[in-house]
Amino acid sequence: MHQPRTLTQWALILLAVALTIMLMVLPLVLIFSKALGAGWELVAHNLADNDMRHAIRLTLLAAVITVPVNLVFGILLAWCVTRYEFRGRKLLTTFIDIPFAMSPVVAGLCYLIVYSIESRFGGWLFEHNIQLMYAWPGIVMVTIFVTCPYVARVLIPLMESQGSEEEEAALLLGASGLQTFLYVTLPNIKWALLYGVVITNARAVGEFGAVSVVSGAIRGQTLTLPLHVELLHQDYNTVGAFTAAGLLALLALVTLVLKSIMEWRQRRLLADTDTPSTTAQA
Amino acid sequence: MSITLDQISKSFGSYQALSSISLDLSGGDLVGLLGPSGSGKTTLLRIIAGLEKADSGRVLFDGQDVTRLPVQQRKVGFVFQQYALFRHMTVAENVGFGLRMLPRGERPARAQRDARIRELLELVQLEHLARRYPSQLSGGQRQRVALARALAVNPSVLLLDEPFGALDAKVRKELRRWLRRLHEQIPVTSVFVTHDQEEAMEVSDQVVVMSQGQVEQIGPPRTVYEEPASRFVFDFLGHINALSGACTGPRWENGQAWLNLPPGLGCPAGNLTLYLRPHEATLAHRPGAEAHLPVEVEEVSVFGATVKVELAPSGWQADALEVELPRDDYLALQVQRRQQLYLLPSRLQSITANGGLGPVIEPGQQ
Repeated sequence: MHQPRTLTQWALILLAVALTIMLMVLPLVLIFSKALGAGWELVAHNLADNDMRHAIRLTLLAAVITVPVNLVFGILLAWCVTRYEFRGRKLLTTFIDIPFAMSPVVAGLCYLIVYSIESRFGGWLFEHNIQLMYAWPGIVMVTIFVTCPYVARVLIPLMESQGSEEEEAALLLGASGLQTFLYVTLPNIKWALLYGVVITNARAVGEFGAVSVVSGAIRGQTLTLPLHVELLHQDYNTVGAFTAAGLLALLALVTLVLKSIMEWRQRRLLADTDTPSTTAQA
Repeated sequence: MSITLDQISKSFGSYQALSSISLDLSGGDLVGLLGPSGSGKTTLLRIIAGLEKADSGRVLFDGQDVTRLPVQQRKVGFVFQQYALFRHMTVAENVGFGLRMLPRGERPARAQRDARIRELLELVQLEHLARRYPSQLSGGQRQRVALARALAVNPSVLLLDEPFGALDAKVRKELRRWLRRLHEQIPVTSVFVTHDQEEAMEVSDQVVVMSQGQVEQIGPPRTVYEEPASRFVFDFLGHINALSGACTGPRWENGQAWLNLPPGLGCPAGNLTLYLRPHEATLAHRPGAEAHLPVEVEEVSVFGATVKVELAPSGWQADALEVELPRDDYLALQVQRRQQLYLLPSRLQSITANGGLGPVIEPGQQ
């Protein structure tokens, strides 16, 4: 890396900055200015609205269930893939990426086909008074699906680079499987794990496509914040729409700060892992 | 505690790592598992520890079958090649880990644990680094922490995987001597894996030479070196010069070179390979009565007590030859590069047609 020298280099940098402002900073500023443009009272009024409150609660509910489920799932998956050698290991690693590769709308549609009342399984569930689609369980289910790779994807490279020797050492020193996990594995992956949780949470809160398919958009019942933004916008309630959007934007900004801190920690950890082997070769 | 291995076999997919290994290691010994990479020595060590399961065969400690005993209950101290220290724990916490993991009934109180940690850190001369983290230590220091950690739980067996493999030459030598002394202080049965012949010879009471998943020979270092049981052991322990030639009657021949063979040495295949150790030959300005091996001096390396002379055969075929001369002989001969000299072997090992060891030839004593 070096300082830009020629006029072209400076022009390129200027272009990049201009694009960033136009595409990212300006819309973000606009959200807050539009929301607050008509004064705090209107914002407060919108926030006090029952549908808005329900949307916030539903969004938080989805996140509160999704994050722990995918935390456990991600650790299990990363553990299997990095600690055992088995047939189909590569295939499993590829499967983890399906939610990344697939459009969320398609995922929502798949769930609809399998679990809606018209399907055989969904019909059977409905007869037993369980409704998954067009209700909050469906929303949680697709959110879990869409966000399930994040934790595993962060953990796998770290656990691969750290290897399993420390765990073997713990077992040799008499630690049980659980003790090994709690005292050795977990402390070694905790920052990566937190990082995974933060991005899982961000995606869970902001998910629109898959949720909009399975939600059925029942006002005050199955609308999450992102869906509520769309609805308010279609109702020409600009302040309301931007207030909801502002809430999401705020969450995103907090996530961004947390993510930066954890990325920094993560880089340091990976650097730490590399040092012993380099000194060893020297 | 003695270790007995009874017909241990292990394969990874189609690769046979160990084929029916049987060994008896007596209690209190320091045993070196020596072999080239891929000979299965680390796999064997991991099977003794319980980190790897053998496909068949039994592992016994003091006659007790431990084959099915889980790692935690084997009471084995293990030192990994890359040490595998817990990176988020201090040196003291690393050493104390085994004691902390004991079930509540057996776990010593905090103060006793701390005392034991101090005692072990004193033993490995690292008491001043107790609060450091592994990443702040040098390779040699990490090695000693790993050893202290393994000893903390009073293991019945101590296993070390290439304990000096990742260290530089000087630290290596120091630690070797130190491990030897430590073993005299704490005479726990210890097995260490190495691919370094010198290391195995210097440190161990018993050497187990392995090749391609099989034990070639087991014995005290001197026996293994002086009476190798197979061509592989002879070849692997120390440098050798291989001389191949045809034999006609009582004479070995290769181009202009020849050697008189002792009477009675069979040579049914018509070809004969002779192994010559660098220190079991000397150089002269004239050929000997029994040996005519003209050579040209290529390189002379004056370092240490002996002088290493690299030679090229003149008028016959062989790979580059190496001879070690005592310093006085070297000075008396006035060896120079490009000089024509004659090689006079004092002891040669003949190799039979099927690759086994044949009789030893001592040309000077006929």
